[in-house]
Amino acid sequence: MPEAESELSSREVEHVARLARLGITPDEVVRYRDQLRHILTAIDALKRADTSKVPATAHPLELRNVMRDDKREASLPAEAVLKNAPSREDSYFKVKAIQ
Amino acid sequence: MTFYQRTIRELHQLLVDREVSSVELTESVLGQIDAVGEKTKAYLLVTRELALRQAKAADDRLRAKSDVRPLTGIPIALKDVLCVKDVVSTAGSKILKGFVPPYNATVVERLEAEGAVFLGKTNCDEFAMGSSNENSGYWPVHNPWGLDRVPGGSSGGSAAAVASGEAVAALGSDTGGSIRQPAALTGIVGFKPTYGRVSRYGLIAFASSLDQIGPMTRDVVDSAILLQAIAGHDPRDSTSSAHPVPDYFSTLRNGVRGMRLGVPKEYFVAGMEPAVEQAIRDAIRLLEQQGASIEEVSLPHSDLALPAYYIIAPAEASSNLARYDGVRYGYQAEGARNLIEEYMLTRQQGFGAEVKRRIMLGTYALSSGYYDAYYLQAQKVRTLIIEDFKQAFEKVDVLLGATSPTVAFPLGAKTQDPVAMYLNDIITIPANLGNVCGISVPCGLADGLPIGLQVIAPGFREEVALQVAYAFEAATDFRKLQSPLMRGAAA
Repeated sequence: MPEAESELSSREVEHVARLARLGITPDEVVRYRDQLRHILTAIDALKRADTSKVPATAHPLELRNVMRDDKREASLPAEAVLKNAPSREDSYFKVKAIQ
Repeated sequence: MTFYQRTIRELHQLLVDREVSSVELTESVLGQIDAVGEKTKAYLLVTRELALRQAKAADDRLRAKSDVRPLTGIPIALKDVLCVKDVVSTAGSKILKGFVPPYNATVVERLEAEGAVFLGKTNCDEFAMGSSNENSGYWPVHNPWGLDRVPGGSSGGSAAAVASGEAVAALGSDTGGSIRQPAALTGIVGFKPTYGRVSRYGLIAFASSLDQIGPMTRDVVDSAILLQAIAGHDPRDSTSSAHPVPDYFSTLRNGVRGMRLGVPKEYFVAGMEPAVEQAIRDAIRLLEQQGASIEEVSLPHSDLALPAYYIIAPAEASSNLARYDGVRYGYQAEGARNLIEEYMLTRQQGFGAEVKRRIMLGTYALSSGYYDAYYLQAQKVRTLIIEDFKQAFEKVDVLLGATSPTVAFPLGAKTQDPVAMYLNDIITIPANLGNVCGISVPCGLADGLPIGLQVIAPGFREEVALQVAYAFEAATDFRKLQSPLMRGAAA
């Protein structure tokens, strides 16, 4: 129900948190629901602006595809890239099982 | 005057004349960090050994008179969102605690090539999200003009460092006002260049279509020096512009005679403090006395800038911050039973409240059923803001207004009300969305707290913003105002 913007529900907050891969406690669901409702109400003017004839700006610069020559260039050594990894095995990032 | 109180330009002369060595100068600044650092909490990390090593190398260059540049030997602070190779860089976030970048940001490389001295990483709001520095994942920063006040944000540590003598100059980043607003609140000069003017390579991303790195300095000349060093195309950032970088000094002192200065009536917002409004009106009058013509202009969609920003910036942030998953770097939660749970716990424990709020707001605005109503609509409003600026700049050379509607507010005053906090950026956000450049320059005090005048120039016309800001600064004594901490008094 796209019309119900300022009536964000707890279920929607839980759904959004899940989409964002953000763990959230029941207390936080209520707090974020109320805060996000408040923010959405404060920015409600956005929805009233007449933009029927206005194109969207996704990016401020008029860029075309930026290409470079297909040449091999130096890159970081694997060790430098892996040194910040919380868990690793050999030259791999180690992750938990995907369920 | 003690060395740490001086400007880049003055110190450059002293260094070249061998009146001071870079090591002596660096020790002077490090001494001031020792003296007041516990009061401002401006730094997350002081890189004392690196600084002294770089200072020695700079002294060799100065002694040999080989490749001496304007920043050779000058001690500079870097906002913690900038990656410095082998130096812990956290963006003010617990989720990046202990992260050691394997490469340098381009701006860091450019300053290194100049022979600059790196004092350390300055505190900031987590991932640059905030207007008071109270969203730092580590600790808040205190304003050198009054320690019970915020320094502004998100580049609050850089601002406090420059205003307290804990750095001669600093780099900040500005997505919705994060250079200009803290500059205004701490009585220094802060310049947000046009998006694309400075490479973002190695800047820890917040909102990629808005973020821009820029100088935070004691005066406008120093701002020009620092911008000159960091501006220009970088093949590693395809959004950095190939637009030529002019010599900012060739026009800096041309004055404002004959220039047309626009005053957007919408920038005198409701809730603006009377003392701030008075200082801005006085500043405008002073520029008129310098020979400029003043014209009231209208940017009719200004009131939509804040709402559009609080969709676009969180939407981009929610995407950018997806990378913090506890796998490749940064914090990883313990005790998860599977990968998804590890993501959820890592992000729950690693991110602070404001970052989570914006990730959720952005995810919501991008989610199925709301995309058109929020994100697409905000992008269309962004077009309207761009058009507003285009039309105004057909009539005038620059736009003038306040940087912040208020002076520095007390710590804790707005932390419980996100919307009240967002309103701090109401006059700075349009320049980010409209892709123009803006500089904040000190224009007075109210009850002992600094006020900033904002000068906005068209995209890639940084030299025009600098010229007007310099004319104002040169005609006043505001640049001589020093914070109590800088003067060695109690704040």
